[in-house]
Amino acid sequence: MTKILLVEDIPDNAELVRKALSGRDYEIIHAPDAETGLQLALTHIPDLILLDLGLPDYDGQTLAGWLRAETVLDATPIVAVTAWPEETAKKMVESYGFDGYICKPIIKIGEFVAKIDSYLKVP
Amino acid sequence: MLPADTNTAIKLIPVSQFTDEQLAAIYNQTRVDYMVPMPMNAVRLAEYMKTYDVSREYSRVAQTHDGEMLGVNMLGLREGRAWITRLGVIPNTRRNGVGRALMGSLMEQAARLSINFVMLEVIKNNTPAYQLFLKLGFYEVGELLVLRRSPLTPAVDPIVADAQRLDRTDSLVLVGHDRGTQPWTNQSESLFNAFEVSGLRLTLADGSRGWLVYQRQKFLLTRFAFKTEVGDPATVAYAMLSHLHNQYPRLDTQIENIQIDDPHLPAFYRMGYVEAFRRIEMWHGTPPPEIRK
Repeated sequence: MTKILLVEDIPDNAELVRKALSGRDYEIIHAPDAETGLQLALTHIPDLILLDLGLPDYDGQTLAGWLRAETVLDATPIVAVTAWPEETAKKMVESYGFDGYICKPIIKIGEFVAKIDSYLKVP
Repeated sequence: MLPADTNTAIKLIPVSQFTDEQLAAIYNQTRVDYMVPMPMNAVRLAEYMKTYDVSREYSRVAQTHDGEMLGVNMLGLREGRAWITRLGVIPNTRRNGVGRALMGSLMEQAARLSINFVMLEVIKNNTPAYQLFLKLGFYEVGELLVLRRSPLTPAVDPIVADAQRLDRTDSLVLVGHDRGTQPWTNQSESLFNAFEVSGLRLTLADGSRGWLVYQRQKFLLTRFAFKTEVGDPATVAYAMLSHLHNQYPRLDTQIENIQIDDPHLPAFYRMGYVEAFRRIEMWHGTPPPEIRK
């Protein structure tokens, strides 16, 4: 089964993502902070990492830096989920080796699911 | 929802009556819809309060009389000055005067302690908060930058120079005590209170020289203080940063509240730092002579 690691500290947001992707054949692994996110990423080697940039221990950029230093995750796309303005989000994506970003709040569920599929290269 | 008579409906309770876990939960709830939410767990919040001399006795949590959480506001205290930070109101209770009540309470606490100079920063474009601060008599002092440098940024060779690594004691001697009108996060006390502080001092071939003091966390370099003693600040800063990032190539870097007109800034951009966001620095009253040194 395709594994998605969701690193998100707000339970309601995590639940929203889980529900949005519930009809797909995806296993959602949830981490509420950066240290747990790193640990779960190395344990599960997910097919995709969705990473909230605002986390309570270290922020999403710092976590992306650690994840990108792990060669076992070289093939795993890392996507930032952020409420930052587009210009800032683009700068962070470029600097920290993200494969893209998704804007918060997630309102259009269909578009969100389509984006996830595209990162996972689902036809 | 709050009753119509908001002032009597809000109870303001000292932060000291809450555990760090409770406080982190309240604080995080106030920020869930922020563009830059900056959530903190209990450990990080406790470290924040210690580093920035936040008074648990004088900081306040707002609640309804039924115990419903409304918001939080924190007061930092140092010689001759106070700092208001982390003001937040839980989204569905906003526009009911909670922010104003929290601000009023902290301003009153500062006045009672005979502190008439209060500092704060507000994220640029947070118009409601900015307007509230203006109404309360704060005035704009300048714009501050929060910068990041990713560990993925290509390394540069260290600039040829006489570089001396400094331990905590020597670093703090350089920081000195004359930073009272710097943004609160970058004042001397913030570095004195921080753990894992070290620094470097550098002299270039042409006699230019300067120093850089920083905090090294597990995965992050942060809390920079720096000074060019002789020479062009951008040149000296670039040389210092080239040595620093060669020493710690795998660490992420975040520096806060760099004044927008700081002459060292070009060196940061040249070294691959990017702007994350901006804050507006605001003051209430004027700095007393003892901190202007």
